Amino acid sequence: MSLIEIPVGPQHPALHEPILLRVRADGERVVGIQVVTGYNHRGVEKLGERSTWSKDVFLYSRICGICNTVHAQTYTQGVEAIGGIEVPPRAQYLRTLVMELERIHSHILICAVMAEVVGFDSLFMLMMRDREPVMMLKELVTGNRVIADYYVLGGVRRDLDEVKKDKILKVLEGVEARVKYYKKIFMEDYTITKRLLGVGVIKPSEAVAYSLVGPTLRGSGVKSDVRADDPYAAYGEIPFNVVTYSDGDSLSRMLVRLDETLESIEMIRYIIKHLPEGPIAPKTPIRTLHEGEAFSRVEAPRGELIYHIVSKGGDKPYRVKVRTPSFNNIINGVIAYRDARIADVPVILTSFDPCISCTERILVIDERNGSTKVLSLKDLSRWGK
Amino acid sequence: MNKVKLIKYSPWLLHFNTGACNGCDIEVLAALTPYYDPERFGVKLAPNPRHADVMVVTGAVTKKAAERLKRLYDQMPPPKFVIAVGACAISGGIFSGSYAVLNGADKAVPVDMYVPGCPPRPEAILYGVVKLLSKLG
Amino acid sequence: MSKAVEFLRSLGLTCKEVKQARRYVFEVSPDKLRVVVTGLIKLNLNIYSSTISVVDYINEGVIEVNYCLWVIDEKLMIVLRVRVPRDSPKVPTIHDIIPGALNGELEAYDLFGVVFEGNDKLRRGFLVPLDIANQGVFPLRKDFKV
Repeated sequence: MSLIEIPVGPQHPALHEPILLRVRADGERVVGIQVVTGYNHRGVEKLGERSTWSKDVFLYSRICGICNTVHAQTYTQGVEAIGGIEVPPRAQYLRTLVMELERIHSHILICAVMAEVVGFDSLFMLMMRDREPVMMLKELVTGNRVIADYYVLGGVRRDLDEVKKDKILKVLEGVEARVKYYKKIFMEDYTITKRLLGVGVIKPSEAVAYSLVGPTLRGSGVKSDVRADDPYAAYGEIPFNVVTYSDGDSLSRMLVRLDETLESIEMIRYIIKHLPEGPIAPKTPIRTLHEGEAFSRVEAPRGELIYHIVSKGGDKPYRVKVRTPSFNNIINGVIAYRDARIADVPVILTSFDPCISCTERILVIDERNGSTKVLSLKDLSRWGK
Repeated sequence: MNKVKLIKYSPWLLHFNTGACNGCDIEVLAALTPYYDPERFGVKLAPNPRHADVMVVTGAVTKKAAERLKRLYDQMPPPKFVIAVGACAISGGIFSGSYAVLNGADKAVPVDMYVPGCPPRPEAILYGVVKLLSKLG
Repeated sequence: MSKAVEFLRSLGLTCKEVKQARRYVFEVSPDKLRVVVTGLIKLNLNIYSSTISVVDYINEGVIEVNYCLWVIDEKLMIVLRVRVPRDSPKVPTIHDIIPGALNGELEAYDLFGVVFEGNDKLRRGFLVPLDIANQGVFPLRKDFKV
C-alpha cells in the first residue's frame, strides 16, 4: 500500500488550535472519522495544583483566550461556593457584563470564520472589522483586549463610571445594526445557505445522548442554557430568551449564535441601566479555604463549562477538573459527519465553534486505493467550490 | 542578489499555533484584517510553509506540537525568520514547568524576534514584523 | 420532587449533602453502576453526561470517579460517585448507555489510568505526550512529580 502524504500548511488564518481529524472516505463520501487530539495539551490541571487559590485565577483564565472570563468565572464561583464568600451585587453585574461582551465577540468571530470557510472572504473581513469595536469595549471595561484578568476571588478589579457606560451604549448601537444585517445575510445569501442548509444534521435525541452542549445542542431544538437553568452571577435577575432552532443543521447552529448576540446586546443594556451601587471587591484578599468541593457550571460562548473543585483546606487546590464545552462537541460530535461529503467536513467542524481546532490537518484516506493525503481545512473548503 | 533584501518588500507570514490559549491567535488574526491593514507593509498570510518567509509562532510549545513545528520550519525555503508572539512562545509563560510543555519556541527552532505581551496587541505584532524587516537592512 | 432523585433514593442510595443548590451526590458501588445508569436513562428524561471527574486520594489509597449527569428537564445535576482502590482502578464502562461519556472515559484513562472495562477505544497518548505515556505513568496522579 503506497501512502502519499501532502502536508499543506498546519497554519490557518481563521481556526487556530491544533487538532487532526482522520477522515475515512469512499470517494466523496465520509464513512468514518477519528479525532486525534493532544497537540494543545498543556497539563493545566496539574499546574493548578502547584499554585495558590488566588494565583490560579490567572492560570485558568489562560486555558482559552477567547473565553477567558468565563473560565475565571467558573473557577472563582466554585471557590466562592466552597468558602461561602459573598460577592457584592455590583461585582456580579460587572462580571455578567464582561461575560456578555465576550459572548458577542466570540459569536461574531466564529460567524466570520464560517464565512471564510465557505469561501465568502469579503464577509469575513467585514465581520472582523465590526468585531473590533467590541474588543475596544472589552479593553475599556477590563483594561485588556483579550485576556482580561478582570476577576479576583470575591469580586472584580475595576469599576465602571458614567462616561464608560455611555460609550458602551453608543458602540453597541452600531454593533447591533451590523449583526442584524449579518443575520439577514446568513439567512438569505445564496452561497451561505447552499453550503450550510441541511449539512451535518443532528437530531435532538442524538444531541442529548452524545452530550453535545451550548449552541450545538440548542441548534437541535433542545432548550438547555446554564444561564437560565442554573443561574449564576447576575443572570437570575436579568431577563433574556433562550434561543433555539429546530433544524439541527449547520445553519441553525450559526443562527443560534447570531440571535444570542442580539440577546446579549439587550442584556448589556439592562445591566447598564440597573447596575447596583456598592463595593466591587472584598477589602481583604482571600488566601485560604476550608475543606469542601464544588461543581461549578457556566454557559461559555461554546456551551456548558464545568469545573469540579476539591479543597482539602490550606492555600492550594487539591484538584481542579476542567471540562470545556468543545471537548464534548468535537469528540462526541463525530456523529454529525455521517454521510457528509468531504467538502462539508470543515463546515461541520466550524459549526461546532471548535475552540481547539486548527492545525486543522485532515487526513483523507481513499478506501478504494488506500492512498493517504494530508490536507488543511482550507484546501478542503476549496474542494467544495 | 541579496535574497534577504528581496523578502523585505513583501514578507509572507506563516502562522502556527503550538498550543496557545487562542488569545494570541485571535490577535494575530485581527492584525491581518483591514482594521490594521497589514498589506501596507506587504504582509500577507502564506497559503503553505513553502511560500512563507516569516513564521509566527504563538503559544507554549507542547511536546506533541514541537515535532510539527520543526517539520514546518524545515519545509520553509531560506531565508526564513521566526517571530515568537506572546509570553508563552517566549518562555512558556504561565505554563512553564508543565510535563507537556517545552518552554518557549526557541527550544525547537531558532527565533529572530520576540513580541512580548499576554496577548500582545495587533499593533505590537505588526510592529514586530516591521522591526524584523528593518533589521534586515 | 424530582423523578430522577426519587428513583435513586428508591434504589437505597444515600444523598450526600452539598452546599450548592441543584447538585445531588450519590455514592454507588462499581458493580451497581451500570444498573443505576440504565435505570436513569429508562426514566425518559433528557440526561447528558456532563463530565467524568477523577480525584486521586493518595493517602486513603482510593481513586474517586465522579460521573456528572445533567438532567435537562428537571434542571439538576446528579453526581454518581464511585470509589475504587488506587492500585487497580477498574469501573465498568457506561459509554454504550450514554454515548456522550466516551470522551470523559478516554481522558480519565489517559490522565489517571482508570480502566473502563468494556471500552475498547481506550488508548494512551490521547492527550498526554508520548514520552510520558510510554513510561507507563499517569500525569495527574498525585505521586507523579513534574
